[in-house]
Amino acid sequence: MRFEKQIEILGSREKVWEFLWDVDRFITCVPGCKEAGTVEAGRIYTALMVEKVGPFRVEFPMRIEVVQNDGFSTIKAQASGSDSKVGSRMKVELEVHLMGEGERSRLSFVASVDILGKLAALGHSIIKRKADQVMDEFAQAVKKRLEGNS
Amino acid sequence: MLRRFYLEEPERVQEASDLLARYGESAKAYAGGTELLLAMKEGLVHYERLINIKKIPGLDQVKLEDGAIRIGALSTHRKLAGSPLLQERLPALVRMEQNVANIRVREVGTLGGNLSFAEPHADPGTLLLVLGTRLVAEKASSKREIPMERFFVGAYETCLEPDELLTEIHVPLQPAGSSLVYLKFGYLERPSVGLALFLAFNERERSIAEARLAVGCVGPTPRRIDEAEGMFRGKGVKEAASLISRAGEIAGHASDAIGDLHGSQDYKEHIVQVLLKRAFHHACGKLQEAGKGRGELHG
Repeated sequence: MRFEKQIEILGSREKVWEFLWDVDRFITCVPGCKEAGTVEAGRIYTALMVEKVGPFRVEFPMRIEVVQNDGFSTIKAQASGSDSKVGSRMKVELEVHLMGEGERSRLSFVASVDILGKLAALGHSIIKRKADQVMDEFAQAVKKRLEGNS
Repeated sequence: MLRRFYLEEPERVQEASDLLARYGESAKAYAGGTELLLAMKEGLVHYERLINIKKIPGLDQVKLEDGAIRIGALSTHRKLAGSPLLQERLPALVRMEQNVANIRVREVGTLGGNLSFAEPHADPGTLLLVLGTRLVAEKASSKREIPMERFFVGAYETCLEPDELLTEIHVPLQPAGSSLVYLKFGYLERPSVGLALFLAFNERERSIAEARLAVGCVGPTPRRIDEAEGMFRGKGVKEAASLISRAGEIAGHASDAIGDLHGSQDYKEHIVQVLLKRAFHHACGKLQEAGKGRGELHG
């Protein structure tokens, strides 16, 4: 599943870039992210993703590795995790591109998400719709957070 | 493997509702169990307590009362597929029920359970959407009616409250000179696309007085396609037939199809178009037959 989102932000590129690396502020914008931690600043992070669709609840403890960081313009990261209770695995490849001039920035995300195992067999389409919703909410939350001075 | 759970066996709706209220998210009502137990066996969900509502008497009746067919929520698919009342008044529902999933599911699975579980790849919700169906939900202290259009909230989600039980499905009698068709397409037991079309014919004006169209299985919930319905209302059959391709395109786009293992979004939208054409010709064919024989037609 591939998702692309783009948001315009009233804020300088430097401000947005700084926000992207501030784990505590950043995770407040990720729907379903319950915990996050830094293993090695700038390279390896952890996060606990929890989502619910109807009666089904999944918990993915994720390990996120930053594989490319071109200061102020691009971040590429890979994340993976398993929910042993429901026997499912999630893999994410994420590309973040940042452009901007003066007090206006454009942030774009391209995410390739693979869900494997029983959960995928249950409802691939539902997961896709949910993931799309999560990306939308995330993009809106980032914009609100950065433009709201918080 | 199915993990250990407690089984409660209430004999009244109120008792079942009380149990659901008392145990909250750790409990779930259970009837046929064809969806729920499968999900529990797969370890996708676990409840410490199942409230077996099958022992509540009177919830498996099918009867005609006050101009509506009243179907008890605990009626199994098999029972509905063999119901003489439905065969006479709503044969399209009987045909749909005869083809739900497989014989094991039809034997124990219930209509109420099917609707309450809100699995997106299910047949009944789509068909019931075009019939003006109302669902009766009960809990310890109250009883309410829910229009079918408002019942499904999302995939696996309904508007039922946690301590509420679906107890009856009311389907109004369809007018004479109306026709109902449900068609589905899929390569496994779960349908990839389901489509229901209801047409009522104004014999004096030789036109379609009422059209209702619903598409299911392609997205999170079945949905009525108002935009396409409007194209048929008030039109003669020939004129409506000339609009069917355009209506199919509109229905495909409006169906909220999501690409998945059953097919891409485009593919599903195309199947919606194909099924709508077939359903329309089938429905008009039934209307013409009824007209020739002067017989009454109810779906």
